[in-house]
Amino acid sequence: MQLVPQGTKDRGFRDGSLVPFDELFERAHEGDRNKAAFNRAVEFFCQRDIRRRGHVEFINAALRKMPEFGVERDLDVYNKILDVFPKEVFVARNFIQRMFNHYPRQQECGIHVLEQMENYGIMPNKQTKFLLLQIFGDRSHPIRKYQRLMYWFPKFKHINPYPVPAALPRDPVDLARISLQRIAADLSAEVTVYQMPLTDISDAGKEITQPHIVGIQSPDQQELLARHNPARPVFVEGPFPLWLKKTCVYYYVLRGDPLPPEEKEEVIDSERNFYYPMHLDLDLDRDLWDDEEFYVDEVAEGPIFAMCMAGAGDQATLAKWILGLQQTNPILSQTPVVFHLTPGPRELQAASDSESGEEEIPQSWHMKQEL
Amino acid sequence: MSGLSLLLRAARAAFPAGARQLRTGGFRSAYAKELFLGKMWKEEVFPYPEISNEELEEINQFVGPVEKFFSEEVDSKKIDQDAKIPPETLKGLKNLGLFGMQIPEEYGGLGLSNTMYARLGEIISLDGSVAVTLAAHQAIGLKGILIAGTDEQKAKYLPKLASGEHIAAFCLTEPGSGSDAASIQTRATMSEDGKSFLLNGSKIWISNGGLADVFTVFARTEIVDNDGAKKDKITALIVERAFGGVTNGKPEDKLGIRGSNTCEVHFENTKVPVENVIGEVGGGFKVAMNILNSGRFSMGSASAGMIKKLIEMTAEYACTRKQFNKKLSDFGLIQEKFTLMAVKAYVMESMAYLTAGMMDRPGVPDCSVEAAMVKGTNEILRMYIALTGMQYAGKILTGKIKEMKKGNVGVALEIFVNKFRDSMGRKVDLGLVGKDGVAHPSLEESSKKLEENIYYFGTTVEGLLRRFGKTIVDEQLVLKRVADVSVNLYAMTAAISRASRSISIGLRNHDHEVLLTNIFCTEAYFKNNYAMAELEKYAAENLDDSIKKVAQQVLEKRAYICSHPLERTF
Repeated sequence: MQLVPQGTKDRGFRDGSLVPFDELFERAHEGDRNKAAFNRAVEFFCQRDIRRRGHVEFINAALRKMPEFGVERDLDVYNKILDVFPKEVFVARNFIQRMFNHYPRQQECGIHVLEQMENYGIMPNKQTKFLLLQIFGDRSHPIRKYQRLMYWFPKFKHINPYPVPAALPRDPVDLARISLQRIAADLSAEVTVYQMPLTDISDAGKEITQPHIVGIQSPDQQELLARHNPARPVFVEGPFPLWLKKTCVYYYVLRGDPLPPEEKEEVIDSERNFYYPMHLDLDLDRDLWDDEEFYVDEVAEGPIFAMCMAGAGDQATLAKWILGLQQTNPILSQTPVVFHLTPGPRELQAASDSESGEEEIPQSWHMKQEL
Repeated sequence: MSGLSLLLRAARAAFPAGARQLRTGGFRSAYAKELFLGKMWKEEVFPYPEISNEELEEINQFVGPVEKFFSEEVDSKKIDQDAKIPPETLKGLKNLGLFGMQIPEEYGGLGLSNTMYARLGEIISLDGSVAVTLAAHQAIGLKGILIAGTDEQKAKYLPKLASGEHIAAFCLTEPGSGSDAASIQTRATMSEDGKSFLLNGSKIWISNGGLADVFTVFARTEIVDNDGAKKDKITALIVERAFGGVTNGKPEDKLGIRGSNTCEVHFENTKVPVENVIGEVGGGFKVAMNILNSGRFSMGSASAGMIKKLIEMTAEYACTRKQFNKKLSDFGLIQEKFTLMAVKAYVMESMAYLTAGMMDRPGVPDCSVEAAMVKGTNEILRMYIALTGMQYAGKILTGKIKEMKKGNVGVALEIFVNKFRDSMGRKVDLGLVGKDGVAHPSLEESSKKLEENIYYFGTTVEGLLRRFGKTIVDEQLVLKRVADVSVNLYAMTAAISRASRSISIGLRNHDHEVLLTNIFCTEAYFKNNYAMAELEKYAAENLDDSIKKVAQQVLEKRAYICSHPLERTF
């Protein structure tokens, strides 16, 4: 049960709500929910009562409201919230106070603030430490938590070998480019934009939308494709999801079947190198104890020739991608391309009546005619 | 041909015809390859190869005029500044017959043996540009015709090449192809009448490209296999500039040898008659390998000559200049440098002349490995040395290793007993020292070290073959150490052999030679032992795994991946 704050009497709090401070925040924003509004609300509370009555409840409410106002990752706001605590009141002054968890609710509240900072991964700064020392004194629970934060957070900051950039681009083409480079993980892979997104209104008044198509292929993949036997088909599979923080993008893969063992051997010609023999004509194999080539979970997988991300996952768009690939890989014009498209989550909503699934096109000139 | 050359020829003829005796019974010298088995063929290297008195006089007769020419008329500074060899110098070289040192006399050359060629190489190396030009001309440019050409080709080209009227060049490297034969793009297509080839393509970094008139070009030709399949193989062709369609790029500037001409050569529809194929159509690969292998060893004596001259020049400076009131030559560090130079010069000389002596023996000795060892230690040659040796050793040891792997008790027991005896420090006796030892007793310690190293090397090679088998081709870090050890062993042998001979016949300053040999052998012994310890399985000194891991991480990001030392996380 909380003392009813004076300023809100006229709002009629006798209805028994136990969270009066939420109303403060509701009132504070006139339209925008942003940092300025939040700061105003906090300042209003601070100036209202010199003794800062109810500050624990207020701070808890503020922590709850932060995501709504969009300030949960802002360190200044956290420092401002910590500033609400009255200073030097809760500092333990003798060993009895230190032993017996001096001002437990306030210490818990301080820990809640730091915990929310930890959850959102925000590193506290020197001002936070200064505030905590002023408020709770040395050897208090919030300071302990702060010390633990400052031990672990620097160690975890750069621990991800493949960090996702904090601000992902909005433009779908840029987003596709970044995510394709992330999947390919090959610095010599080239990203090609086969089609830019376009919304056009034709003469008849119909809307023609062109989805974007961004593809990636590395020189190694090009070579593999050039060596591929045109009698065997290649498969377009997808869409596969890729999660980047909170966004999910879908990519499609052009792959081939794994070669049977007899076609896999590549014998190096003995007349290959002018300067030293590349192949020793000995009947000796590698010793068992030196053989480090055994991987239990290595599954024989076929080669992957290229990947792409497209705005729409239907066959026509992907066929355009294959056509674009043909310019750098002429062998695709003779290879049959089989489309194994699973219905992605978008397609389920978009067109539930159109068929998607296996459709086979034996020759690419067939594709050209369709387009 | 001028008077000087005629004089030399006359001097030659004056000596009895049998001056260079032909000993019958040639045997393939495989000294370096035997090292890989832990054995030493003493007869090959002890005694140090000698030449007869008459030959020595002949060489000195050659050496005199050439030295005089080089000290007076070759102005190295001017050549370097102008980036060009003046035509008078070239003419002088031609008059001395230096353009045809290894061409036989019937074609107009000097027909020198390898030893004499090495000796003259020492003097020629005094000027880098001249040395490179001559080497490109004869060591590789016309070697093809010399070793694999038909009599008509020899009669047609060698006389003019020997007199220096035409200069030769060796065209193998292309923009896309350095050591990979499969990526050669230059094409030679047969014409319809089957009488000539049309050559199309370009070669880069061709020494003498701008001056040469005769090129040995390697191009792809289509040949029909025995099974009737069409394959592309490399063919060696002699191409004259007069055939037309041959153009040069502009000369490249090179550090230290600016006088030598290196440029791109382009061939456009050059017509080459079928008779100009060296060897057979499609056999160009073997021709290339033979040329490269035989042209290498002259580098050894050339560098030895350069170092000797360098010692002279620097010693002059060190003994006259004073700093801190002391002559430079009184400082320990400077003295160490001179010792290093002297040791290196000695060892290189010994190796070069040992190889030359071995090659001059009758029969057709295969000294390609020794020649590669003499040339130096660039990466590719190391691979060559190591792999050739491993192949040789592997062939012989295959049976034994297979037996051991199958679990034959007798062989396993023998190996176990051997290892036990080795760890107890058994004495290795390869016959170098002791009662019938071939090395002089004052070299006893160095010889013992050499023997130990050879034996240990043999067991190491066997262990490696057992562990890796034929996949050792991919283990370049292992092969590098093997090559280093074998080069050191060969160098130690050469030094000991030469020093031993010097003491026995009483050459001047033989005690100095003993000192140099001992210094070199001790250092090399230590390095060899370290390298061989690294080659053991799970050796603590072996950093190969860490090296590979670091390389993989750096190459993945294609950059240096450590954070900057000034960065902060909070």
